Amino acid sequence: MSPQSVPLLDPDAPVILEMRNISKAFGAVTALVDASIKLRRGEVLALVGDNGAGKSTLIKILSGFHQPDAGAITLDGTDVRFASPRDARAHGIETVYQDLALIGDLSIFHNMFLGRERHKRILGLKLLDNAKMRDLAVTYLETMGISIPSVDSMVDLLSGGQRQCVAVARSIYSSPTILVLDEPLAALGVREGGQVLGLIQNLRRQRSVSIILIVHNYHQIFEVCDRINFLHSGAIVLDTSTTETTEEELIRIVRSGRGRRAAGEVGFGPT
Amino acid sequence: MSSDFEIKKAQTSSNIERNPATTRKVGLRTPNTLAERVLFILSRYREASIAAVAIVLVLYFQIGSGGEFLTAQFLGVVFRDTARIGLLAMGEVMLMITGEIDLSVGSTFSVAPYTMALLSVLWNLPLAVGAVAGVLIGVLVGAVNGIITVRFRVPSLITTVGTLFFLQGIAVSIYNSQPIMTPVQEPFNEFFGQSLYNPSADAVLSWHSLSAFTPVVWAALVAVTLTLVLTRTTFGLHTVATGSNIIGAREIGVRTDRIKVYNFMIAGALAALSGIINTLQFASADPAAGSPFLTLQAIAAAVIGGTSLFGGSGTAIGALIGAFVVATLSNGLVMIGAQATVSDIYLGAGILAAMLLNVQVDRLRARRRI
Repeated sequence: MSPQSVPLLDPDAPVILEMRNISKAFGAVTALVDASIKLRRGEVLALVGDNGAGKSTLIKILSGFHQPDAGAITLDGTDVRFASPRDARAHGIETVYQDLALIGDLSIFHNMFLGRERHKRILGLKLLDNAKMRDLAVTYLETMGISIPSVDSMVDLLSGGQRQCVAVARSIYSSPTILVLDEPLAALGVREGGQVLGLIQNLRRQRSVSIILIVHNYHQIFEVCDRINFLHSGAIVLDTSTTETTEEELIRIVRSGRGRRAAGEVGFGPT
Repeated sequence: MSSDFEIKKAQTSSNIERNPATTRKVGLRTPNTLAERVLFILSRYREASIAAVAIVLVLYFQIGSGGEFLTAQFLGVVFRDTARIGLLAMGEVMLMITGEIDLSVGSTFSVAPYTMALLSVLWNLPLAVGAVAGVLIGVLVGAVNGIITVRFRVPSLITTVGTLFFLQGIAVSIYNSQPIMTPVQEPFNEFFGQSLYNPSADAVLSWHSLSAFTPVVWAALVAVTLTLVLTRTTFGLHTVATGSNIIGAREIGVRTDRIKVYNFMIAGALAALSGIINTLQFASADPAAGSPFLTLQAIAAAVIGGTSLFGGSGTAIGALIGAFVVATLSNGLVMIGAQATVSDIYLGAGILAAMLLNVQVDRLRARRRI
């Protein structure tokens, strides 16, 4: 799972998502000011920034949870508006929130298929096809390289890392074009975080889904991400490839709260 | 104890050093000690553990009464009570799985058969028609409870206390709080009511002996149906999801409000069915047949049967066995000569014990010990 094992993203990969000049305020609180991001096909993009910088608002707009006050979202070249999370999902954008939305009292395979259950008809009754769902879940989790004790175990019995993996696996089962992960590594130990990083790295190697990731640990960013966007006070102040910067530089930039160049160029003065 | 713990700890850490790959397989831990194994089995098969309690109780009363308990006549009485409490309890289980509760089932239990009797007396409608009307009233009460609870965000504990008094008030005021004698219309009465079995006059395999147990047969059918619903249908899956993690379920797209309202309707329908069966047994509709005490007995049965009060888990079979335990306790103690009121002491202790066990099992599960 070393970063070297994943070839660099093709520089000609098309831009699949563009969020342009997004602004959002909640009452008196301004969350986003003219924030713009671009995501290319197969790219893994890290969103970094302090608490309250607007990361969560940005991805909640993308996943249809909030509607922007201003700005536009372009998906695959066409302008889109998401009225609800269901809407965004229909456009191929899957989001894994921090709470994971897993049902502790249901088995892993039931969780995998919750909301899209497989059925069979017995005597005219529409019953769950548990055997089929179990088989599909086993094969699917295996191909993703996720190791869990058994798909029959209750989610309550899983470790944090396994839960995160199951939640990610569930959201990419419908083969979305964009996967949004809200702090997938928060509250995980080093080893458990490793499981999740491994999964993201696998997805990155296949380059079939573009991923937006909120992470706080800069070391992990350099392990699995292609590009970094740094949000500060509701605006993107740095947009750089992971090959063009180093962990040290990133930490320095984040500490200063400004982009690489003079603070004046990005629109706000020193604090 | 503490030294034991030290040794265990030492062993675990040395295991990790020796073989990090296998010990890192987190998740299901195989139970080691006897106590852990017992708790593991209890958590997996709560119905089995409550069934064991039921068997012990039966044996105790069988011996205590000198062989009077396991007779067709006495079992007929116990099963009648089991069915009455069990039908209510199974409705409560469905609701408690979604994280709600219905305290008004006792009132529905009175109103539904009273409606049936009134329709029969006033308009000469057949009991079967009145029974359908009664069940529909139960469904309606459930829908009202559910909609008030999910739409207006009134806790169901409060909503259903309101409907409890409201319905009870209607039942006692509508016909001057008079019990109404209901006609006996065969085979309807035999199918739903109960003919008391007379072992000296009836052959064991006769229709009469069979129909002596119709209430509990209905309860068993409901238990099987609800078990199928819970484990084999999307509705059941979504019911568990709603109670286990309502926010997560909503994010996934489960229509949690609808699921709750439907379960309120199921609870209402079962309460109506239970009341109708009860009325047919006695050929009399009492406007005060279903007291709040009956509701609490049903909730006790559900809890004894292993239903979690926090939502997310519970079984219909467990509730039915729980109802059998409640019915056995109240009838058995009277039979062996105790005061009727004494049975409440045992029932109370039983509920407390069941709750302590449930909470303990839940806690162990949360800590991933079993």
